[in-house]
Amino acid sequence: MKVKEIVVISGKGGTGKTTFTASLAPFLKDVVIADCDVDAPDLHILLNPRIEEESIFSGSAKARIDEDLCTRCNLCAEHCRFGAIDKTPRINPMKCEGCGVCEYICPADAITLKDVTTGKVYKGITEYGPMVHARLVPGEETSGKLVSRVRNEAKKRAESEEKPYVLIDGSPGIGCNVISSITGASTVVIVTEPTLSGLHDLKRVLEVAARFSGKAYVVINKYDLSREMSEKIEIEAEKSGAPVLMKLPFDKKIVQAVTGKKIPSLAEEELFLSAGWKNLLKTLTAE
Amino acid sequence: MKITILSGKGGTGKTTVSNNLAVLVKESFLIDCDVEEPNSHIFMAPEITEEEEIRTGYPVVDEDKCIHCRKCADFCHYNAIIAGAAATMPLKDLCHDCGGCQLVCPAGAISYEKKGIGTIFSGTSRFGSRFLYGQLYTGELSGVKIINRLNEKMSHSDLVLVDSPPGTSCSTVAALEGSDYAVIVTEPTPFGVSDMKMVVEMLKEMNIPFSVVVNKAGLGDNEVYEYCSEENLTITGEIPFERIVAEAYASGKLAVEISEEHKSLYRNLWLNIQKEAERSHES
Repeated sequence: MKVKEIVVISGKGGTGKTTFTASLAPFLKDVVIADCDVDAPDLHILLNPRIEEESIFSGSAKARIDEDLCTRCNLCAEHCRFGAIDKTPRINPMKCEGCGVCEYICPADAITLKDVTTGKVYKGITEYGPMVHARLVPGEETSGKLVSRVRNEAKKRAESEEKPYVLIDGSPGIGCNVISSITGASTVVIVTEPTLSGLHDLKRVLEVAARFSGKAYVVINKYDLSREMSEKIEIEAEKSGAPVLMKLPFDKKIVQAVTGKKIPSLAEEELFLSAGWKNLLKTLTAE
Repeated sequence: MKITILSGKGGTGKTTVSNNLAVLVKESFLIDCDVEEPNSHIFMAPEITEEEEIRTGYPVVDEDKCIHCRKCADFCHYNAIIAGAAATMPLKDLCHDCGGCQLVCPAGAISYEKKGIGTIFSGTSRFGSRFLYGQLYTGELSGVKIINRLNEKMSHSDLVLVDSPPGTSCSTVAALEGSDYAVIVTEPTPFGVSDMKMVVEMLKEMNIPFSVVVNKAGLGDNEVYEYCSEENLTITGEIPFERIVAEAYASGKLAVEISEEHKSLYRNLWLNIQKEAERSHES
């Protein structure tokens, strides 16, 4: 059986991506859930998984200098293209990209690359299915690799347990994390807001989706904050072949549901039904 | 003085806070370092006087010289070179431009070429203030080089306000480089608290003093206030959630343009931030 991956992304954070993903989870029967927003993982707050397994993720290495062996020749600092080594020489771990050039160039063998912990991966069980999520160590940059790890773990689980869907809370933005979140996915849902910045970001994220994944759809959150911008977004989406599946109004009840750690589509079902929820579910689960 | 405006994740109001302050504080110089999703220019509507393309290097293999020893591919920590028995193929999208492959190649077969990854725009905002922003091309992996160049371009004698990328990724660390003070913008929801904890951890590690601004106050619960009080974090301001501000934002207008009340709210916020920034540097 082929697993269908539904990835929820947004041009930027705060548009309601996680709220929407959590809302979808109970309605996809037999699903494995993954939170690929490793910089700001929030999905577990609403889905409350019971953690069964925790593992360390080491996605990169950093250079270390052995002071006793170092001859202060400064070749390492001269060759480092990331400005990570000063003349002391001392390595700034936040700037080191683990490329290994310093280790290679050092005539005194004073530099070695050491693996570092860049994140943690959690596997657990929610009321709606298994869930994988992760947390990046602040300041680390291998989030693309951590995103791939979370996605692969979720996919493996879906395959071994013969679940038809993997639901992914993707990363915001248009950089490496998003590309890792959506590459090869069959379905992408872009959650957006009816603002000038929302429209600006949508255009960019639609380009990324078209390049790296299958069919894209759009959900407009808080559409009634600006009906004019909402219309512009619909036009832009249709133009890019990404139909608008649902328009949710701005309603404090949704914020209140989230604050109470409840799933909005369950707590405020009426609101979702009147916004086109049934049609959205039908489209996303169609072959 | 460089003050960087941060947030645990996008959408909490980083752009709102930095732009409203930039309009009020006339001598400020606003830099939008959120190069993946720059939004400040939508509100600042700058007249652009200068554009600079930021470029990165990537390897090119001269097949006539290549002896297919595969040393380049073995060396590359980013798997950006595929080496077969008869051909060596660099994958320029994965390359971090470290120069290692060129260094290890015994045949001198590798050279570096440049490609654009984004653009920096400089100009004057519609409010008359100086403004800089960068934009990463879609499909590019990392905006760190653009952010580093934005950092180089700002003048250190001025008051610089930086609209940072959200979260705690490498881009945020790059935007924070050289910051004297930071302001975390958060919202009073369980998500807001969870996300800001990581930023707090990062700022402590980087030894940058900071305070907190609660945006959309009144919309959620008390968790953020409890967390700040437990951790002894200073809240320099609260911005209430108001539908008219959200609607104005939707059409590209800032709160300080709506009314005197909003102006004085941001004026107070600025006074508090200034006071805290000075205090943190005296102690």
